[in-house]
Amino acid sequence: MTLSATSFQLVADLVRRRSAIQLTPGKEYLVESRLLPLARDAGVDLETFVAGLRTARPDVLTEVVEAMTTNETSWFRDGAPYQAMRRTEIPRLVEARRGVGRLRVWSAACSTGQEPYSLAMCLSETLPPAMSAEIVATDLSEQVLERARSARYTQLEVNRGMPAQMLVQHLRRVGTEWEIADELRRMVTFRAHNLLDTPPPGPFDVVFLRNVLIYFDLATKRGILDRVLRVLRPDGVLVLGAAETTLGVHDGWERVTIDRTSVYRPLGAAVTTIPAPREPLAATGTDGPPGTSLPRGPLTAHRTGHHAGTPPTAVRPTGGAAR
Amino acid sequence: MRALVIDDSRTMRRIVAGTLEGLGFETLQAEHGQEALDHLEAGEQVDLACIDWNMPVMDGLTFVTKVRANPQWRNVTLMMVTTESEHGQIVRALAAGAHEYLIKPFTPDAIRDKLDLLGLVPVEEPA
Amino acid sequence: MTTTTVELDQVHAIAQEVFAAMVDGDLGLLLPWDGALPALDDAIVAWVDLHGEWSGRAVLVTERSTAEDLARALLGLGDDEAVSPADLDDAFGEIANVVGGNLKSLLPNPGTLGLPQVGAEVPPVAGAVRAQHLPLSWRGRLLVVDVWVNLGGTSTTSTTGGTR
Repeated sequence: MTLSATSFQLVADLVRRRSAIQLTPGKEYLVESRLLPLARDAGVDLETFVAGLRTARPDVLTEVVEAMTTNETSWFRDGAPYQAMRRTEIPRLVEARRGVGRLRVWSAACSTGQEPYSLAMCLSETLPPAMSAEIVATDLSEQVLERARSARYTQLEVNRGMPAQMLVQHLRRVGTEWEIADELRRMVTFRAHNLLDTPPPGPFDVVFLRNVLIYFDLATKRGILDRVLRVLRPDGVLVLGAAETTLGVHDGWERVTIDRTSVYRPLGAAVTTIPAPREPLAATGTDGPPGTSLPRGPLTAHRTGHHAGTPPTAVRPTGGAAR
Repeated sequence: MRALVIDDSRTMRRIVAGTLEGLGFETLQAEHGQEALDHLEAGEQVDLACIDWNMPVMDGLTFVTKVRANPQWRNVTLMMVTTESEHGQIVRALAAGAHEYLIKPFTPDAIRDKLDLLGLVPVEEPA
Repeated sequence: MTTTTVELDQVHAIAQEVFAAMVDGDLGLLLPWDGALPALDDAIVAWVDLHGEWSGRAVLVTERSTAEDLARALLGLGDDEAVSPADLDDAFGEIANVVGGNLKSLLPNPGTLGLPQVGAEVPPVAGAVRAQHLPLSWRGRLLVVDVWVNLGGTSTTSTTGGTR
């Protein structure tokens, strides 16, 4: 069965709007194989299912986007933020924390672990001997956290954004996979966390909150940024995703441009004292899973010998507690 | 920008060249290291070389060594594209002067990621 | 009695990664074969020899029409485009090469890899046993990955000259 060009375009447009990911012509087979299970569940054929997306409920659209988004998890994602950390922020914070002897970092949407381990690599290469670092890495999904704790990655995964120099320095081969070095693993603690809840105990010097705010409506974003502000040191730094900003969202931050990227620091020492209300999930307009656990295709769910024949179960916004 | 794709497999050359062309590169092909050197010696401008390791006549590691020994070619970025994925092999290639290393099998996205790392992404992606 | 050379799940993982990256773009399309193995009408075989701590041969077997579709997927050809015999051999051989190359890198010391070869049947390897046998389903069609290991210590020799 071949998807019609119109239907393919409909899905491509939807995915691009929701995730900025481009489904180029040539990926029709991918769309068919990923959406067929969804169409079957709905009891209709693929064309009917896709046509129905024009008027579908937000959670159905979310499911489609999640089923289609390919593995976007890469190491040192976007490059420039990590360079900014190396060149400016880490040296600055090291200077400021000489008495403390330690930097604390929160990777707040850590998924399968590439971000916190990338940070660990940066820190291990830039921290002076007298300084240590502790990285708290959180995500909504226990499933991805298990993967992250294992610190093992397939060759396809290590091909994504990892400089070869880093690969040989910080990972070793185990069978067909690559494993993060022990001294880096010791820097990272993984735990489940919902961004709508009270943050892990601070204070932190660095918070990475990348590509997860996009799933929330404005009020929820503000609440999350409030809570981050409360656990971030006044001279600490917040790093968002490449296309994200606090401008127009939360006025407690100062944007600082470093080379080709922006980072955010708490404005003065001002911290909003308005308690952030616990937001109900699946508010209208929310079109993604709360917390983290970014949509991943089967490529990231893959482990040796345990491949999934179908996309992983989507985390659906529900009216009650997060999963 | 121009890329030289060096692999004894015509299929692999087509795959790599196809991906690079989609990213805006002009491509040249060579079946082994000696043919690739011939291109360089003939004065062809090359910004990036994607190099297989195991090839007849002259293998990829030898090609890398020879390019890095010639100051004339210091602006040629060298990326291995190979199934050789033992830790020690990657170290050898980097020590010989390769700038990057892509393990086969790879996805088009992975090539793009490596080009980003190398600062070799063309200004605008073709429509 | 069998030396542990490569594990079945490693062969499976390698095959899946090769197909996901270069053929399908999706892990879900290469699955274990379910049920009895059908006879192949017009079989085509690609193999590559490995030499290292042990000598062996990685072999791919499938029907010619399946191999042609594999070649189309690799080369980005349309469903109706003809695949020349040369393109077929090169593409199918390259899949064996990448699978074999990844198997080789599981060996403790860097070994060597022979040139991929393609034919109607694989020449027998004296003194070798089939250490792994992995029947797979690619888009519903049979593709078998076998790993032969030479326990005698003598290297496998190819009986036909393979050139690309």
